[in-house]
Amino acid sequence: MKALDLAITGTGLVLPCGDGLEAARAAWTANTPAFADLPEALGPGRGAACTAFSPSGVIPPLQLRRLDRPSRFAWAAAHQAFLDAGLEPRAMGDRIALAVGTTTAGSEASEAFMRPYLLRGPEGASPMVFPNCVANAPSGHVALAFGIRGPSTTQLDRENACFSALDQARWWLEGGLADAVVVIGVDGLFPLLVELLRRARLAARRGLPRPHGATGFLPGEGAQAFVVEPMASARARGARVRARLSGLACACGPDDGPAARQEALARAVSESLEGRLPRAWIAGANGHPRLDLAEARLARDVPGLPLPCHPKALWGELCGSGGQLLAAALLEAPGPVLVSAPASFGPQAAALLEVLPSP
Amino acid sequence: MERRVVITGLGFVSSLALDREGTWRAMLAGRHGIRDLSKLDLPGEPARRAAEVDLPEGAGAGPRATFCERMARLAATEAQAGSRGLEGLDPRRAGVFQGAGTSGMPIAEAYLEGRLRGGQPRATEAVYQTPAVVTEALARDLGALGPRSTVMNACSSSLLALGQAYERLAGGALDIALAGGAEGLCRTTYAGFASLKAMDPSPCRPFSRDRAGLNLGEASAQFILEPLAQALGRGATIYAEVLGYGASLDAHHPTAPHPEGDGAARAMEMALGMARLDPGEVDLVSAHGTATPANDGAETAAIRRALGAAAARVSVTSSKSQFGHTLGAAGAVGAAVAVLALRDQVVSPTLRLEDPDPACDLDCTPLQPRERRLRAALVNAFAFGGNNVCLALRRWEGA
Repeated sequence: MKALDLAITGTGLVLPCGDGLEAARAAWTANTPAFADLPEALGPGRGAACTAFSPSGVIPPLQLRRLDRPSRFAWAAAHQAFLDAGLEPRAMGDRIALAVGTTTAGSEASEAFMRPYLLRGPEGASPMVFPNCVANAPSGHVALAFGIRGPSTTQLDRENACFSALDQARWWLEGGLADAVVVIGVDGLFPLLVELLRRARLAARRGLPRPHGATGFLPGEGAQAFVVEPMASARARGARVRARLSGLACACGPDDGPAARQEALARAVSESLEGRLPRAWIAGANGHPRLDLAEARLARDVPGLPLPCHPKALWGELCGSGGQLLAAALLEAPGPVLVSAPASFGPQAAALLEVLPSP
Repeated sequence: MERRVVITGLGFVSSLALDREGTWRAMLAGRHGIRDLSKLDLPGEPARRAAEVDLPEGAGAGPRATFCERMARLAATEAQAGSRGLEGLDPRRAGVFQGAGTSGMPIAEAYLEGRLRGGQPRATEAVYQTPAVVTEALARDLGALGPRSTVMNACSSSLLALGQAYERLAGGALDIALAGGAEGLCRTTYAGFASLKAMDPSPCRPFSRDRAGLNLGEASAQFILEPLAQALGRGATIYAEVLGYGASLDAHHPTAPHPEGDGAARAMEMALGMARLDPGEVDLVSAHGTATPANDGAETAAIRRALGAAAARVSVTSSKSQFGHTLGAAGAVGAAVAVLALRDQVVSPTLRLEDPDPACDLDCTPLQPRERRLRAALVNAFAFGGNNVCLALRRWEGA
């Protein structure tokens, strides 16, 4: 493949700390965790919910009632990202594509659909809810909202699904199937998920999640959207480039044991860096050994890495299935930023972003 | 794209048979797998038909394997039956691409039902079930250490997975890929399509004037794809060449297709463009053909727009008439049918097409299989969210 040279020209963030780049920057700079007792509707538990999220003025009320939470988050994040990039997607028609990564999209609606069905049979089934039961519901709603008519995918690859979406964006851009791709990481909390995490003892039971502290993690939600274009196209249209994506790799081990995942993540990081040394390191450890162990040996295996920063200690796991890691990288000072994105199973991912100074 | 890509393995588990040739023979014999629903307990549902797969005990089994995973593993094993000579490949250049099916959904449903009844079902099994477990199981079986992709584009998922595998092989990033999809029945999808009034209580009738909706079905189709030069070098059986794919969004409606098939036509045109295929070379369209009132007319319009005058002599077939709608696996199933048709130069029939809809005025291969010259085929899969995917295939006639 060609050397990676893609530009991130727009970003939109819906995070538990608030909406937009400036809210994220303030929380990131202050290192303020967004965890709290979850709203009553989600059941007992702690996490990082987007309690301040307000789509009014962005999503028309008639559409709002048809959308599940992940679709609302994705719509708002895409709206910000297109404004930030100075792109009008409707005018691009089928030359703009959409790549979504998620762990939970569709699941909130599935629970909402099945609860009354299991209790009352067919008369409890809502035809309004069912279309949101598929994980590509956010993609469909975003396409409809912004007139996106190019290729689309929704990738379900666990905690780093957004990296899988980013990888597909790369193929479409390099293959000439699109001039720009909006990549979205999105997740939403729902009662059944909160209960499962609690009952399976995956969620931290007290205190804050501490990466490498064997505390367990806390769940989060949100959406992060990134407009990605070939660097030459971005320059040609005079776009402000927030970051250059110059490394991206996914790797797998022969099994899902800690050693295999460590080796796979180290390989992904090494392939992303290609000998370059990052100025900052955004890490995906979350407080649960499955992810923490995958990253535990990185500092030893890849000499010269700076100390890691851990967005999941502020905004939670899921929260965008790796999108929150890419968002944090964009909040760093200019320079090369490594993002490592371990997963509890399957592909381990990494990216190198060169954050560019604001004009 | 630089390298030519061919299909050198095909596994097919369906409601007609648990293997490729058995399924294909049954299709050509005019059989279908749609029968009274037996797997799901759905009191009060008026539509009670589905194309179910019966797996013998132990078939495709793995640790905690779901039904989807078992079907996928069985089909993948058949697909890999001709993979001798691939042992020396770098496992880091082997990838697995899967269209997601319902996978662990029945486990989540059982958990929720247990809780609603006041029980204490185990949470650990439900929390780890995502469609990605099928992809991971297949990758472990194959020994693949390269990219893995689990696509959830609803009913076009597995066809996009095939497209992803193609572009990475053609682009030189991989040397072998396993791609496909698997779909099992679950209460959520059954009740969901029923709530949309999209289910036909009788076996479905694609392209018919009185078509009344779909039946759901179970299946898995899995493909081994590799570069042509490598396949020739190891003397592999070549089923067909993959020429390219197209993908588009309707941006029209969350569930209904564009009435004139705009997005579907654009996906087909994109596939033709990537394939460098003249519409006049396309002899077969393995259609999405769900038998819903909205789909079949829109798809006919899309085929007419994409193929132009050549649409008048193309053969169209809908395998939904044999297998029902296999949702996440439907694209891979449609591709398997097209590959076998290209190989044997015979179009499988659209069953129960006795009274064609004037709005579906193409040659939809009613009732009987038809032998004819088949050079290239398009495979369509469309989905909720306005997702459209089209795959272009060419008959393999030798180097």
